Amino acid sequence: MNSVNSAILDPTVGWAILAGFSLLWVALGWYWGRHAQQLDEYVLAGRRVGLALGTATAMATWVTSNTTMAAPQLAFQIGVWGMLGYSLGSIGLLMFAPLATRIRALMPNGYTSGDFVRTRYGNTAWRVFLAISLFYSLGWLVSMGMAGGILIHALTGIPYHYGMTVILAICVGYTLLGGFRAVIGTDFIQALLILTGLVVIAFLAIRHVGFETIHSAVLAQRPELLNLMMPAAIMFLFNNLLFGIGEVFHSNVWWSRAFSFREGVGFKAYTLAGLLWAPIPIVAGFIALAVPALNLNIPAADMVGPMVAADLLGVTGAVLVLVMVFAALSSSLDSLLAATSILIVEDIYRRHLKPHASAEDMRRAAARIIVGLGVLTWILCAPRLTTLAELLYFTGAFVASTIWPIAAGLFWRRTNGTAAIAGMVLGSAAGLYSYFAIGFYVAALTGAAVSMLCVLLGTWLAPREFDWAQLREDHPLHTRELS
Amino acid sequence: MTMPTGVFSALVLTALAITTAAPLLLLVLLIRDWMRKQLW
Repeated sequence: MNSVNSAILDPTVGWAILAGFSLLWVALGWYWGRHAQQLDEYVLAGRRVGLALGTATAMATWVTSNTTMAAPQLAFQIGVWGMLGYSLGSIGLLMFAPLATRIRALMPNGYTSGDFVRTRYGNTAWRVFLAISLFYSLGWLVSMGMAGGILIHALTGIPYHYGMTVILAICVGYTLLGGFRAVIGTDFIQALLILTGLVVIAFLAIRHVGFETIHSAVLAQRPELLNLMMPAAIMFLFNNLLFGIGEVFHSNVWWSRAFSFREGVGFKAYTLAGLLWAPIPIVAGFIALAVPALNLNIPAADMVGPMVAADLLGVTGAVLVLVMVFAALSSSLDSLLAATSILIVEDIYRRHLKPHASAEDMRRAAARIIVGLGVLTWILCAPRLTTLAELLYFTGAFVASTIWPIAAGLFWRRTNGTAAIAGMVLGSAAGLYSYFAIGFYVAALTGAAVSMLCVLLGTWLAPREFDWAQLREDHPLHTRELS
Repeated sequence: MTMPTGVFSALVLTALAITTAAPLLLLVLLIRDWMRKQLW
């Protein structure tokens, strides 16, 4: 499709919206981050984040451009199971709630998920884990950067490279200025924008078309979308469930939030975020099912949401979608930049390269790495090598293999470290094989199953003892700052 | 087996009700945290 010719909004309007929100995010980033000179203030918002901001940041970060754009696409392609399958992504957040409490209790001075794996399983497991985690983070960053360019181009006709550059530059800018505080503060506003936009479009679809008409039009033109016995869709549902759990359990995006939340907030924030996030893909998917009733000609499946919004609301609908998409992209990109930068600073820069780095050195390194990650993401996004879905589901094989090593390591004293390494390596290999041999919808499923077998069997055959107190040890940086 | 209209409407309406309530709940929590000086 030639998106420039079929763009819903005028490029001038697109530029005006991008400029307005960019200024707002950067100004807020500067304002909230102006006192964040200490390392903990800059990378973990002082470890005192309350319930409201904690819930909103978990929710907004999990509402990526994939939720607002791919959920309607999946509903349009595989029907109600697509909506419900995507909604099961919330299980990852809900299941992380007890883990967040456990993480905060076991590691009150921790910084990264890498800290945990290193202390719990040793250096080999830590390096395998870091490879998976950094690969996933980069994959997510690139998929968000590409999504920014593609969606802005499709909605406004602004060339891909300009849109992608703007969204990356803005997110790097305000994350750099305000650190984690800027990420969490803007996430709150972004969550409100996404939710409000979605509700307005869904209400209009019901008011203008109605449930009966939408249901009967789908039944007449695309009856398979309402079929409850679609095997590939059911497989997708379970795969998406495990993919989501794997993403949340291992990624420093979620661990850094667990470290940053005020004591007692982690469980409530993740539970509430999961419950509030679950209906979003259903509402977004429902919007797509209005297509047959509206008699819309959809040029590309991932444009379903914007096309329905534009049909119902005209230019206002398209503006609403652009604001939602910009908010969804920013809320994920800023979180990824912040969480990946501290993962690199703590686990590579300090643990591998500069063991005696001071908190000040690390604070400076974190800022430089945010910029470096932005530049690297731009370089990888520039050639537009793969499609969004391909890139996203490719990482599923890797992340699902970390579910068991993380969960068992946090709660099961006897978990065997070698079995955890085998789980991550063999699980990733099996997931990759099934990705290419069968399809994207089984990669996470296979990866998680093989990893589970390795961890359970290995620990049953050779259980190890572990002293939880090792995880509570003071971080060397705290000890040094206090002395 | 096709999803009936009633189930379809109930599913979407429930989801929509929660999505509508979510921003209000977040704002209430924000005010509560702010009054308790526990924003961040």
